[in-house]
Amino acid sequence: MTPLDLLLLIAAFTVVVMLVSGQLRSIAGENAVALYAAQGLALLPMAGLGYGTVAEVPASISIPIMQHTLHWRFDGLSWFFALITIGAALLSSWFTAGEWAEKFRARGGSMRLFHSTLALNVFSMLLLLASGDLLSLFIGWELVSWASFLMMGLAGGQALRYAMRYLSYAIAGAMAVLVGLAMVYSQTGSFDYAALAAAVPHMSNNQIWLLLLLFTAGFGVKMAMIPLHLWQAKAYAETPGPGAAFLGAISSRMGLFAIIVVVLQLIGFARLLDLSIPFTLLNARDLLAWIAVFTIIFPTFTALRQHDARRLLAWHGIGQGGYMLIGILSMDALGSAGGLMHIFNHATYQAMLFMSVTAVLHRTGTSDLNQLGGLVVRMPLSFLAMLVGIIGLAGLPPMNGFVSKWMIYRSLMDDGSPLLFIGAVIGTLGTILSVYKLIHNTFLGQLRTEHVEIEEAPSSMLIPMMILAAIVFLTGYFPGVVLDWVAAAQAAIGLPPLTHTLGGVPEINGGLDMIWVVSILLAGFGIGALIFFSGNRHQRIHQLDNYAGGHFLSADVRYQYSDNFYPGLMHLIGPWYRASFQWLERGFLSLLETLSTLMQGGYRAAHPAFYLLAVMVLSLAWVVWL
Amino acid sequence: MTLELLAELLLMPLVAFIIGMLMVLMMRKIAAGIQRRIGPPFFQPLYDIIKLYGKQTQISHGLIHEIGVIMAVGGYIAAETLLPVPGMNGIADKGGIITLAYMMMVPSLGLALGVGQCANPNGSIGISRALTAMLAYDIPFMIVMFGAGYLYDTTNLADMIAIQQQQGLASWGIVQTPLLAFAGLIAMQAMLGKQPFEVYVAPAEIATGPMVEMSGKFLGGLFVMQCFQLYTVAVLYTTLFLGGGENWLTFLVKIFAVIAIPMAIAFLFPRYRTEDLLRLMWKWPVVLGLMGLAVIMK
Repeated sequence: MTPLDLLLLIAAFTVVVMLVSGQLRSIAGENAVALYAAQGLALLPMAGLGYGTVAEVPASISIPIMQHTLHWRFDGLSWFFALITIGAALLSSWFTAGEWAEKFRARGGSMRLFHSTLALNVFSMLLLLASGDLLSLFIGWELVSWASFLMMGLAGGQALRYAMRYLSYAIAGAMAVLVGLAMVYSQTGSFDYAALAAAVPHMSNNQIWLLLLLFTAGFGVKMAMIPLHLWQAKAYAETPGPGAAFLGAISSRMGLFAIIVVVLQLIGFARLLDLSIPFTLLNARDLLAWIAVFTIIFPTFTALRQHDARRLLAWHGIGQGGYMLIGILSMDALGSAGGLMHIFNHATYQAMLFMSVTAVLHRTGTSDLNQLGGLVVRMPLSFLAMLVGIIGLAGLPPMNGFVSKWMIYRSLMDDGSPLLFIGAVIGTLGTILSVYKLIHNTFLGQLRTEHVEIEEAPSSMLIPMMILAAIVFLTGYFPGVVLDWVAAAQAAIGLPPLTHTLGGVPEINGGLDMIWVVSILLAGFGIGALIFFSGNRHQRIHQLDNYAGGHFLSADVRYQYSDNFYPGLMHLIGPWYRASFQWLERGFLSLLETLSTLMQGGYRAAHPAFYLLAVMVLSLAWVVWL
Repeated sequence: MTLELLAELLLMPLVAFIIGMLMVLMMRKIAAGIQRRIGPPFFQPLYDIIKLYGKQTQISHGLIHEIGVIMAVGGYIAAETLLPVPGMNGIADKGGIITLAYMMMVPSLGLALGVGQCANPNGSIGISRALTAMLAYDIPFMIVMFGAGYLYDTTNLADMIAIQQQQGLASWGIVQTPLLAFAGLIAMQAMLGKQPFEVYVAPAEIATGPMVEMSGKFLGGLFVMQCFQLYTVAVLYTTLFLGGGENWLTFLVKIFAVIAIPMAIAFLFPRYRTEDLLRLMWKWPVVLGLMGLAVIMK
């Protein structure tokens, strides 16, 4: 039995245990945490993958279908993704183990369903990450899609509607991938990675274009690449808190994983450069890079307009995906390391942010930013988690988000791509505005009278948040820890691995050493504190003892600035939203609606999605038995 | 070696603080000159700081209010060590311009957090305007950063200075790319939040915005932050476009000129509203900056 067998076995075992005992009040959460910890430990024997000493760990199971064999294996890239997946699942399930589960049950939710869905998500993701040929990749892909659909629909009602919407997208994407696979098969007669890689040089540019379109569109649905992003924010926002933390952390990155494997690794970086778009100076790589930049900008500025904390975060999750893609597309050691590292960094702070918002939701019953405020005095540790998270998300020092974004910026600079660079910067600036609105309207400003008695989140929620906060800070302080794994993942997909130190990147023409930068920043804060406390003694006063233009404030007066937080900005860019983005959304939706009406009329199916599923299964069967 | 570095790390913020105070003094003198007043005496900035820190009434709205002010000052103290001055490079080789640009956002974030805790809508409106202004000026600013990084083919500020000083006046940023230098000048003026870009303070309208609940050493902290901010922006501009300082004399002349000249012109303009500031920043400096990039990248 290889270490990979063991890992997959434990993951499958977790699903079974959760199906059997997921409803048990006393131990289900603890069991889940223990089992994910066991999965994490099962990664250790394969740690050689993460440090580049071992190239590949195969699974001993392989399933022959006709003349093909499905097989699974782990390489450096899979190991890196698996580490994030299992870590996210561990901390998300820890978050549920306590008051959250009680409340979820009290509102009629089923913890058995929640736990087994989470376990199923992890198992299917591991299966996808381990796929050793295109067919097992597709099977893993489908499993992941359905598992995340279950997670999204868990809350029922509105959530189910958004989940169904995701399903329509996902199945459309799966069809695209399937057609791509059929095309590969007809060209190569095999589903092996090697066969495709070998056949690519002999394919014509038109064929490659078609493959590229099918695979990026198909996998791009999952990572919510523009213009296939519309399903994600609402679906994630309605997912039960810890589930959203898990999905937001890693689920969409599976799309990126598949794109890396199929489009970048198999079709190949060099080939992308060859594919030029007629009448422009662009090639396929530039096209993807521009899609990535728009995936950064549009969702980030949509996030800026959200009133609901969970939706705001979910929209940012889409936007951050663009940074990862653009980093990896840079194809050099620095940029692609930045893109890969951003996957890890984003997972850590995004999960923490969702947890913090969920903790607030748990205590106050709302995540509407106009109904909150001033909670820092009641929930200081949840505030700390959100603060660390937003600094990471905005990409400022000293958190880990800065390091990956620095690498991406730097490589765009080296590349000489000013417009892509500016696009990435615009995204970062929009993020800063948006996350300040998030923390201001939740934790700062005036405490509402109904929240005066609120308590800090329970320890079952705080511990995972604090662990994540520590990770976000420490991997910003010592990015070399993560860069080791990243370098191994780069080597696994045929990119030049990044030369790095524990503190960052030594480059001849301007490097980064986070150990120095963060130490200096902390020292600066220390001196700042000394200067501050050298002043005369200060006294703390009640928040209503405030300058109100001569009026006396009382507890029933709402003295908070939260709605329409950036009026000056919206005055200028507000019309741009109406003009382009919503038009796009309506167009897309009405197209979908027309299609679904046609299908309903034609086949009297309750849900077009299920009809599409049937077609898909049939075509899968057709491909397999061809 | 390490001892020398330690001394540099301590000296650089101290020098920055002293020069920053002098810059505040100069700014006030310029304003006074335009308004036909005499202006404050030489040690006035120092008196102000001592007075503010020593005041009896020191109102805090909570821990985050205090931490915010500490972050605002501390962030700049740290940023100064990334900025090379004649004879001292500090840790310029560990960071570079991208790090510096983002490090300069940390104090703003600290200030924003501190103001948020005050629960005063005037303060929050001020921060909303300040952050919007940041979105406005940072786009041309980052274009300028990109241009400089591309021009000198390094992000290390010490190397940029070395390149300009070895190759003489013709290699100065302002000679090589006057368009970028001009765009940078406009972005820099907005970054300082001085006239005509001080809409987020707007004393008559939102009661000085972020400063509304700041008293005593809290306001003192912001005063100190302002000194650092003036110094940082001036030195950064000098480094990118004016060849840095060969010695302390030319260094001081350059950085004071960088603050004085635009300030004297800008004082004459009326205040821009937030949306007009956005329009202005996204139009002229961005267009100039992109043209500058097009020229240097060809």
